[in-house]
Amino acid sequence: MRIAVGGKGGAGKTTIAGTLARGLARSGHSVLALDADTNPMLGISLGVGPRETDLLVAARQALDAGEEEHQPSTEGLVERFGTDAPDGVRLVVVSRIDSADPG
Amino acid sequence: MRIAVVGKGGAGKSVIAGTIARLLARRGRRVLALDSDLMPGLALSLGADAPADPPLNDAAERPEGGRWRLKKGIGPVRAVQRYSTAAPDGIRLLQVGKLGGEGLPPIMPSVQAFYQVIHRLSGAAAFRNWTIVGDLPAGPRQTAFDWAPYAQSYLVVVEPTWKSALTARRVARIARSRGRDVFLVANKISGDADLRRAEQLVGEPIRMGVPADEAVAAADRLGAALIDHAPASDAVRAIEQLVVDLTAE
Repeated sequence: MRIAVGGKGGAGKTTIAGTLARGLARSGHSVLALDADTNPMLGISLGVGPRETDLLVAARQALDAGEEEHQPSTEGLVERFGTDAPDGVRLVVVSRIDSADPG
Repeated sequence: MRIAVVGKGGAGKSVIAGTIARLLARRGRRVLALDSDLMPGLALSLGADAPADPPLNDAAERPEGGRWRLKKGIGPVRAVQRYSTAAPDGIRLLQVGKLGGEGLPPIMPSVQAFYQVIHRLSGAAAFRNWTIVGDLPAGPRQTAFDWAPYAQSYLVVVEPTWKSALTARRVARIARSRGRDVFLVANKISGDADLRRAEQLVGEPIRMGVPADEAVAAADRLGAALIDHAPASDAVRAIEQLVVDLTAE
């Protein structure tokens, strides 16, 4: 099952996505949670914690910063940049805008 | 006065921007309201009809192999004359246009034209005495890419929640790195303790707290401007106080 959650700001996308991910994980699915918002907050709704969520490494910025010598595979990205969230959900933050002229 | 309103999705940016614009116009300012959100909400919050989409599509052109540019003869003055629409209290509304919807024409020319027009507003003598209120989309993207070059101040709307506060911190940090003034307005506040909680979460003083007010949700459901639906509501009163403060500076 692969789901993308969209909608207007403040509608509850992140809360619903996070709760869905936790619920699916609890019913035995292996869940990859992708936060594709450049203002990524999915970690909070998954239960990772606000301060921790604010500090999660974003794959795009990490790759741009040259921390990886080779372009890793998808599995490599999930392994390298993912974080474990409750119920065994694996969370990957795709990109975060944190500065002016982020490229 | 020239401000850009930013913050997390659902924080109340459009309602606050629209109400500020209306109140400033009623105090005699000539107001240009700018909506650079591809899912625009400012027209509703102003109580205006949504402009035809996408409004500036024939203002830009791209020469063969070149970059997008405004068409000859179209500067900020002409663009506002031609592509802005009327909103109540004499406000002019210029919006980038609505994204998507099958069958809608491509929006790229309008996006390019809008970006170039707003970058020329500060240099346009004709707008020297205008007040500008910009409503930016959720999150830090447009702040990072300088979508409010006209703004002296960024008004960051924050709710007393972690997601909203982390977003506010991020946007405030980026705006300040561009040398802009930043001030925070807390929204959906229930009492003093809530306001202090918002200050704690965001890590700096908050200029004004707008109370949680059922009238805001009611106006939203009706698709009406808050100031028209509930002019005497607590939320409007708080925003009015903010406008008095800002204009006294």
